[in-house]
Amino acid sequence: MTEIFSTLFGQNDAQPSAGPAGLGFAAGKPPPPMPSNQAPVAAQIPGQLGDEGPTLRKPGAMNEPFYLLRELPVGNELTGNTNLITHYNLEHAFNKFCGKKVKEKLSNFLPELPGMIDCPGVQDGSSLRSLIEKPPVCGNSFSPLTGALLTGFRLHTGPLPEQYRLMHIQPPKKKSKQKRNPRPLDPLPPETPSDSDPKKKKKKRDDDPDRKKKKKDKKKKKNRHSPDHPGLTGSQPNSNSLR
Amino acid sequence: MAEKFDNLEEHLEKFVENIRQLGIIVSDFQPSSQTGLNQKLNFMISGLQDIEKCRQQLHDINVPLEVFEYIDQGRNPQLYTKECLERALAKNEQVKGKIDTLTKFKSLLISELGKVFPEEMAKYKAIHGEDPPS
Repeated sequence: MTEIFSTLFGQNDAQPSAGPAGLGFAAGKPPPPMPSNQAPVAAQIPGQLGDEGPTLRKPGAMNEPFYLLRELPVGNELTGNTNLITHYNLEHAFNKFCGKKVKEKLSNFLPELPGMIDCPGVQDGSSLRSLIEKPPVCGNSFSPLTGALLTGFRLHTGPLPEQYRLMHIQPPKKKSKQKRNPRPLDPLPPETPSDSDPKKKKKKRDDDPDRKKKKKDKKKKKNRHSPDHPGLTGSQPNSNSLR
Repeated sequence: MAEKFDNLEEHLEKFVENIRQLGIIVSDFQPSSQTGLNQKLNFMISGLQDIEKCRQQLHDINVPLEVFEYIDQGRNPQLYTKECLERALAKNEQVKGKIDTLTKFKSLLISELGKVFPEEMAKYKAIHGEDPPS
């Protein structure tokens, strides 16, 4: 039973034991094997000696009947138990980025930047990774171009060759749908919630007696002036068309 | 700190706008455009000088390399920030779960050991003191 007890606490050691002699074990019982994936103890025990392993209390002195009993590591105030986002005052940033939907494309982040920026940089050799791997020559000062140097920039007149024309083409910008301004119609009564239905609105317009009269008048005028008008009593095939 | 970013942003915007105008001039060049072209070229050089002056104010700014992967793929770099925060929160919750589980295990183990080895556990508590409240 005591062997199991000491084995249990012996497995709490984070650092591998050097060997039986270094640890002061009694002869005949090697220390238990240490798993290699254990993380080191947060607080180092004072007086640790290089590869010889941790300093131990003298066996049989203060900690009898416990062997290899160490002091507990110094507790860290900041652990995973704390909400680290609150601790570092990142709530606003968290709500801003994780609360709302962040758009996928680079052009949404840089809307004013011209050109096709949503394409991968590898395609046209404009990637930032290539800039890091092959940095350009730096250190030279920038001096304005003199007249002699500017003669090298005398260009031929006319449009660019087709292979170079695509460089300044921008993707079509989506225009936000603008709300249509209401047309200046006859003064309508204030809308009630039931009137907001467009079908009902259309019905209302049709049901308006003034409008009906106006339509009839227009039809009559049209019928009078049409060349096929047989007379006042005749009915026209177009008489039912809405104006 | 925001001022130096604003300063750099302003210079970069002017520079990009100048380059864009240069591209328009070049796309359909006329002899009368030569003067304007020369002017734009010199503006480009002065723009680069201004951007280089901004470098000194920003020498302590570090940018994570992973953001460049997002930019090179044409993705919004704010997605990197979003994913960092989400991963941090997930890891925080994972570690908190482990701490809670191990704390419960420790208290359960001590109580059970106290039942089986009352004298030894009393000595252990005398050495280590009482467990701090979790």
